[in-house]
Amino acid sequence: MGSRIAQLSMSGVALLIGLLLVGQLRSQARPTEISTLSAQDLSTLIETLSDRNRELRSGLSDVQEQLREYRLAETQGQSALDVSREDLRRIAAFSGQTAVIGQGLILRVNGELDPIAVNDLLNELRNAGAEAIAVDQVRITAGSVCVLGTGTLEIDGTQIGRSFSIRAVGDPDGLLTALQRPGGIITQLKLFVNATIDASQAQSVEIPATREDLQPRVAKAVP
Amino acid sequence: MSTRDARSSPAARLLSARPRFRFAAWALSIGLALAVIGFAAATQWKGSVARQEYTSSAQQVLAAQVVGLEQEQKSLRDRLANADRQVQTFQSASAGSQTTLAQLNRDLAAARLAAGLTKVTGPGAVIEIADSKRPVPAGDNPANYIVLVDDLHDIVTALWASGAEAITINGERLVSTSSIYGVGSSILVNTAFLSPTFRIEAIGPQDLLDRFLANPAYLSARVAHRIDAFGLEFATQQSGSLTLPAFVGNTRFRWAVPEGS
Repeated sequence: MGSRIAQLSMSGVALLIGLLLVGQLRSQARPTEISTLSAQDLSTLIETLSDRNRELRSGLSDVQEQLREYRLAETQGQSALDVSREDLRRIAAFSGQTAVIGQGLILRVNGELDPIAVNDLLNELRNAGAEAIAVDQVRITAGSVCVLGTGTLEIDGTQIGRSFSIRAVGDPDGLLTALQRPGGIITQLKLFVNATIDASQAQSVEIPATREDLQPRVAKAVP
Repeated sequence: MSTRDARSSPAARLLSARPRFRFAAWALSIGLALAVIGFAAATQWKGSVARQEYTSSAQQVLAAQVVGLEQEQKSLRDRLANADRQVQTFQSASAGSQTTLAQLNRDLAAARLAAGLTKVTGPGAVIEIADSKRPVPAGDNPANYIVLVDDLHDIVTALWASGAEAITINGERLVSTSSIYGVGSSILVNTAFLSPTFRIEAIGPQDLLDRFLANPAYLSARVAHRIDAFGLEFATQQSGSLTLPAFVGNTRFRWAVPEGS
């Protein structure tokens, strides 16, 4: 009995030591947690999160409006097919399967950009809220990336020359401000690449549909 | 061994030692264990206090705002996902021509799959990247030794270029509007604030991982150089079956008008 108690006691002590040591090791991991960011970084993070939350609220409001349309169609004995057809058009446009048009930004690039620079530009446009993007006539989808083909840049198998345009539909002011901010992508690229990048707002930017088949061959939907 | 010999062995002498001696040994063991516990607890407590002292009151206020915004974001994402599910329920139950409805639902399912709005499963690759554990040499930039936005961006670019069909970073599904954004040393993907270790999962061809590791888009990327130069922790694994969640976020346009609308 005494030895049983002793064994249990030692097990408990060992467990406690282990827990504390794990906690200690974890606390020495990189301080990515919020409390260690500078005040400036925290302010930027607040602004970014606020913007993202605004987008989510807007999206939620739209979905709730769509639900109201379905409920109204139901109560009025009408077919909700039209609501569904509109949803199909929207989803297809979101993925890049159909063309879109709207206000936005046009970048005219002339010079020697490498694939990394082009991909960074596309990432920055997305981050600034671009809803649809095209490089020349190539619609940028989730999987569209710029690579170095045989002697030239390529996106989705289409060659991109030394001079090309990047068009983006979105808030024209937001897009332009994001790209041209001090220390932003255009400023950085001008330091490292031999190219000119001119950005201008536009009232009507046309983004074509993708020519790629976006249906996955390997990934299967989970019911 | 004879009984007499057994009695004279060191173990036997210890076992037959006076109770006072056994008690002392026992007490010593417990005391040592408690000392270790005390040390670990004190170190952990001291560490916590030090981190709190490090931040100014302004930073604490801002940090609290960030936490509040993250909590709000979680709530919004949950509500959005729930509302989307209700829309899909309406769509599958819509009245009207059964043939038309069936075709429309098939088209909707295909559109959602293509857009990243559906949970998917399949073979693929898993890549994990974390901060370097090397000590930062004097005079060197500590930022070189942590995972940056460009690192994740380069990995994702190389995966797409290698034939990936669906990708997540720490559970965040990448879609046409997804960006990887840095604020100081922090990283946001879509709307989510992520911390290392960063786990990138990609569904694609069976040899996706081999393609990725051999792809010039990876080999010539910034991240490949930084892994070698600064010791960023990097691990890869092929997987026979991955399940990636659907994108959760805003898919409605504010500025773009789809053709045909």
